[in-house]
Amino acid sequence: MSVSRDDFSIAFRSALLQRGATQRFSIFSLIIVALVIFFLDIYGFTVVKTARSFINDVVYRVTYLASTPNRLFPGINKGIASHFNLKKENEELRKVIERYKSLDLNLEYISNENKNLKKVLDTEDVKSVSNIVLAKVLVDRNSPFLKSIIINKGSKEGIVKGMPVTQNKYLIGRIVETNYLSSRVLLLNDLNSRIPVTFDEKSTQAILTGGGTRKPTLSYLPEDYKFEEDITVFASGKDGIFSAGTPIGKTTKDGEVNLFVDPNQLSFVTVNLIKPSKEVF
Amino acid sequence: MAKGNIINKLFAAGPLFLLYYLSISEVDTNLEKLIEIFSINLQIILIYFWIIKRPNLMGPGHIFLAGLINDVVMGFPLGISSLSYLVVCFVGNYVRNKSVNTTIASDWVTFLIALLFANLLFFTLLNNFSEVAISYTKIGYNTFFTLFLFPVFWLLFNLYQISFIGSQDA
Repeated sequence: MSVSRDDFSIAFRSALLQRGATQRFSIFSLIIVALVIFFLDIYGFTVVKTARSFINDVVYRVTYLASTPNRLFPGINKGIASHFNLKKENEELRKVIERYKSLDLNLEYISNENKNLKKVLDTEDVKSVSNIVLAKVLVDRNSPFLKSIIINKGSKEGIVKGMPVTQNKYLIGRIVETNYLSSRVLLLNDLNSRIPVTFDEKSTQAILTGGGTRKPTLSYLPEDYKFEEDITVFASGKDGIFSAGTPIGKTTKDGEVNLFVDPNQLSFVTVNLIKPSKEVF
Repeated sequence: MAKGNIINKLFAAGPLFLLYYLSISEVDTNLEKLIEIFSINLQIILIYFWIIKRPNLMGPGHIFLAGLINDVVMGFPLGISSLSYLVVCFVGNYVRNKSVNTTIASDWVTFLIALLFANLLFFTLLNNFSEVAISYTKIGYNTFFTLFLFPVFWLLFNLYQISFIGSQDA
């Protein structure tokens, strides 16, 4: 009995403390270092934050370079398609459709708003978006747990936490981390994403909740609310972060929202330089 | 002779290169575009296999660094992936110390223990000390698929080992 206990303790200690001929660190010492780094990062000391911001900028650039082969393969496929002269035509048609869609959505939103303004005297402040920054998506790593992208613009361009991010005027998420030269955007379908939205003729208010799946869901709706398909969902702007009326997606019968922009197909996005009226996170 | 030596070294560095590449690049093992629930943690399989078979090819220092890089790219608190990988490394070391000869079946069973410990630590730390929320269903699916596909990768890595590094176990 004691022999087996000895065996266990020897194997345990050896696994934790022993170093191989070419190994400089034992697992135990590295676990301690990792724990220290983890808690320093969690409790957000200024020095660690600055160091992390610098590391982020460097690693994101390296990631972008390392992922070049990934981008080349889809590029080759597109090249084959353009051989049949389909690519250009397709893009032009898409642009036309997007233009019409956005006109249609604006009309729908304005008519809904108009109806409600007749009923309600107190209106919300609709902030105009004058400053925008176009950013390229550096890293779009599809994590099973976190749905986010890295863009190539950061605090240098005036980006701060909480700013809304759009593509073709459709909302796709918000800034959750800023570095000097890059930022992280939390997408609408992430589990941590919560956005106040409005939709339908009655201007029903709800919260768009990400679930880590492709389609976020609508929650905190009025009791016995029955979902209808193809109703456009807009940001309500009640959180003081997102511009009221920014289109997000269309409802489904199950209370989910089909986003206008596929979160897996982002290449360029726009950051709206609206300073959030309250601290985010 | 010298040329052959360099090629051998390059092949031997293959697993480590793959670990760094998986951590730093956009290559992901999350095929949710095809099957929404499918995702695996290939880094953990990679670390466990090579720690069991050839520990000299994958030092804990490299594993620690790969974990840090993974945290930066994924947006997790720094050090959390390193901890999870080091736990896998520790279990692998322990199993190697205790066993004389391993088979695919024995490795699969012990990998379950390593995976459970690693994921338990990862999600306990994330849940208690970070504001990042994570879906438990996704964790379940990820753990299941990682475990389920372990033998497939075991065979692939074993084939690589036999073909390019040499069949002798550690």
